[in-house]
Amino acid sequence: MAVPSPIDLTSTNVQRSRRLRNHLATSFVYGSVLVAAIPLGFVLFYVAKKGAGVVDLAFLTKDIPIVTRLPGPGMGPAIAGTLLITLAATLMAVPLGILAAVYVTEYGQGSRLAGAIRFLSDVMAGVPSIVMGLFIYTIWVLRFGQSAFAGALALGALMLPIVIRSTESMLRLVPNALREGSAALGASRSRMIMTVVLPAALPGITSGSLLAVARAAGETAPLLFTIGAARAVNPNLFEGSNAALSTQIFVNAQQPFVGAQNRAWGAALTLIVIVLLLTIVARMVSRRFTLR
Amino acid sequence: MTATPTLDLEPAGPPPAGFGLDGKRRRVADGAFRLAALASGLSVLAILLLIAVSTSQKALPALRQEGIGYVTGSRWAPNIDVFGALAFVSGTMIVSAIALALAVPVSFGIALFLSEFAPRRLRHITIYVIDMLAAVPSVVFGLWGLIVLAPWIVKIYDWIADKVDPVPVLNILFGKPVNGRSFFTAGIILALMITPIITSLTREVFDTVPPGQKEAAWALGATRWEMVRGAILPHSRTGMIGAVMLGLGRAMGETIAAALVIGSSARLTLHLFSSGDAMAAVIANQFGESGGLHRSALVAMGVVLFAMTIVVNMVARAIAGKTPSAAPVRGRR
Amino acid sequence: MTRHKSGMVRMTALAAVLAVGAAACGSDTGGTSTGGTQLSATLKGSGATFPKGFYEVAIEAFHTEQPGVTIEYPGGGSGTGRQNLQDGVVDFAGSDGLVKDEDKPKYKGEFLYFPTVAAPITVSYNLDVKDVVLDADSIAKIFQRQITKWDDPAITALNAGASLPSTDIVVAHRSDGSGTTENFTKYLVAAAPGTWTLKSGSTVEWPADTQAGNGNAGVATIVKDTPGAIGYVDLSDAKATGLTFATIVNQAGKKVKATLDGASAALAGATVNPDLTYNPLNAAGDAAYPITAPTWILVYKNQTDAAKGTALKAFLTYVLTDAQSFANDVDYAKLPDSLRQKAVAQVDTIVVPAA
Repeated sequence: MAVPSPIDLTSTNVQRSRRLRNHLATSFVYGSVLVAAIPLGFVLFYVAKKGAGVVDLAFLTKDIPIVTRLPGPGMGPAIAGTLLITLAATLMAVPLGILAAVYVTEYGQGSRLAGAIRFLSDVMAGVPSIVMGLFIYTIWVLRFGQSAFAGALALGALMLPIVIRSTESMLRLVPNALREGSAALGASRSRMIMTVVLPAALPGITSGSLLAVARAAGETAPLLFTIGAARAVNPNLFEGSNAALSTQIFVNAQQPFVGAQNRAWGAALTLIVIVLLLTIVARMVSRRFTLR
Repeated sequence: MTATPTLDLEPAGPPPAGFGLDGKRRRVADGAFRLAALASGLSVLAILLLIAVSTSQKALPALRQEGIGYVTGSRWAPNIDVFGALAFVSGTMIVSAIALALAVPVSFGIALFLSEFAPRRLRHITIYVIDMLAAVPSVVFGLWGLIVLAPWIVKIYDWIADKVDPVPVLNILFGKPVNGRSFFTAGIILALMITPIITSLTREVFDTVPPGQKEAAWALGATRWEMVRGAILPHSRTGMIGAVMLGLGRAMGETIAAALVIGSSARLTLHLFSSGDAMAAVIANQFGESGGLHRSALVAMGVVLFAMTIVVNMVARAIAGKTPSAAPVRGRR
Repeated sequence: MTRHKSGMVRMTALAAVLAVGAAACGSDTGGTSTGGTQLSATLKGSGATFPKGFYEVAIEAFHTEQPGVTIEYPGGGSGTGRQNLQDGVVDFAGSDGLVKDEDKPKYKGEFLYFPTVAAPITVSYNLDVKDVVLDADSIAKIFQRQITKWDDPAITALNAGASLPSTDIVVAHRSDGSGTTENFTKYLVAAAPGTWTLKSGSTVEWPADTQAGNGNAGVATIVKDTPGAIGYVDLSDAKATGLTFATIVNQAGKKVKATLDGASAALAGATVNPDLTYNPLNAAGDAAYPITAPTWILVYKNQTDAAKGTALKAFLTYVLTDAQSFANDVDYAKLPDSLRQKAVAQVDTIVVPAA
């Protein structure tokens, strides 16, 4: 918004103390950006430097070595596992979350049920991720064993409230005129939602969901007890242990052996790249396609 | 907010030809969609209910045995079935307090920068920086913290401990460190992680200040800082508190980065440079081997942590209408 | 005990062992395990980090012999292994400690102990002094924080001629439920009964101002990173991390370094129970290293899956026969022959359903 240009402050009309305070505040504000950017820079620098020394085609494709002390590739199964588990979680959480948000905004406004759903999805957003992992371990793993699916359940449960709320806020932004116009043409509620409202909100919903996916890809705690520790690629979603980049980083970070630590850095670089790609695509979708 | 169209959507006669399904089939399809949406909404309730019931059930044996002593007792001895989680509750609070103390001023500064101080190009760059900060997974922060930060920052802790040695209260808080794995290191890592959420929520609040207020300040000859102090901050106070509370909620639930750098010692202490433990990290470290009452005690710890997070989020909601899931996506893990 | 080799040389030795193991698959050492049939199964295990250095090498070598069998052993500590076996989440558990009698009913059936290897638990430290000598009494006092500096009279008395600095001692122990902790504390209970008050178990209530690490590797990391630190680590991890470890005064009053010879001497005199459990801690004899720890693989006697059961038997036999030949190369002591043969015989008692 347009701000009228301030009165010339450099003139001696302004007392020195006021000018000084202004300078201090400005420095503080610029300084805080630096204080956030510098550690970030260090983190990215280290991950890039140490990871780049390790990541190559062999690293991306070979199995996780059995003997943890030795250096050498790779993390192939962890990459495959992360993608598989995250994809499964997304397929479960996103449609469910979108539909739930549709109910809350389109069918249930003002109703107590909708209010309860909104409140409870906020509560669910506050569940610590480790608790989600414990929960899935207790009700699923103890019965069916560790698997990629168990991990996907835990991740999906974490993603669900995020998808619901971001979809809800996108749906709210759709102008009522669109809904009213559609109703005036005789469309049923469901048809209106599917052909008018959802498409209008789609860019926002997509970007919100992609951000939820990016977050899920980096989660560690829910996977610790639910997926086990596979060393080779396991494409089977429901049976057998699997691996994930996040859990591999966690385990290898605590080893004193350089070989293991290097694999952790390589996995960290790969994971950051994946998460970054998802985040960038999300922002691009949001910026390019949003109705203004 | 969104007003339902109040028109009757079930026309008395058949719709004009060529407009999709007719009469009854349309009503059925419409009803089916509504049902699907309702079922999805109910599933959220069902999942949450299941979590609540299942975890409370598992937690009950330990809580029944210890009673209130579960949170007030400081002795955690799984080998003899004594469970007092005070050291861990305190650890969580200490690490969160450190994280807030570091993150809040920085986040407010960045939010102000984005809102009022930044020239356009710098604003874009800063937004990218914050986005990147939000995108780095928690476990990567933990890896960096453990292998890079901890060994290096010990020297700084040492220096600080030497300098404050004669000062009465400070020398308890900032005593000599053993190695870099400590409450303070965990606090630094968490601060990095909660900065994006506090920043964007605060910035949203700053952006809602009515332009008239700001223009009035300019018109009176205020410097930029005086305008901020006079027009923006008073208006935004509750929103800022809400943002801080949500940041707190995130910090408390943080498991992995804390588990890697906090040092894993069950210690009730105010010595910030000493190693300690936090609730979520304890659960992650001990769950695998736990059985029977020990496992129940760990689930109880999860329940207590969840309850604390709910309280913080509810307070945030009450004060500022801010909710955790409306915040930009960034994990607490 | 001084460092033996630098890290790089150890890695080369390890790689050489793997090469030997791979070659051994071709040679016929008595038609072990499978007699040539190719098995196919995935075995999940978890548990003790103490023998992990050996198990990983054995698993890799076994994999070359039986490529259809995948074995996962991520570690986690003896406590995790036993709990996972109880829950039925794994097929076998590694444990350095015994299952308490009151816990036995919680398991899904009868289980068997299979001893695999043994090794010294080193008392590793981070000081510029080689071959520090300690006895049970001083170790107990150090880990109970009654001795807090390296130049304490109790330590200097044992180390005439060495100049010990006045550095603070930083105690490192396990944060997870550990068989290594159990054996270490069992030793202290036996060897320093008047001094050691914390009793024995997979977790004990360590004094507040101590550090904790996850797994043997975690303790090794703390000792490596922290000047003045002391911690108990299995020999293999201690060497691989490049740590210095102490010479211990044994029951006979002799100073013994942490070596495989010392471990074998301790094993030689141990009494073996019918279920193949035994206790080599605080062993008698001049050459015995007093903190020699045993370790077992626990499996259910009645297997439910034919493929897994067969593969399990094959793996156990492999560990007890071929793999013993490279145990020393990764710093683990072989089992005494009599014990080993009893264990091999016990493999046959595992009941596998018809395919």
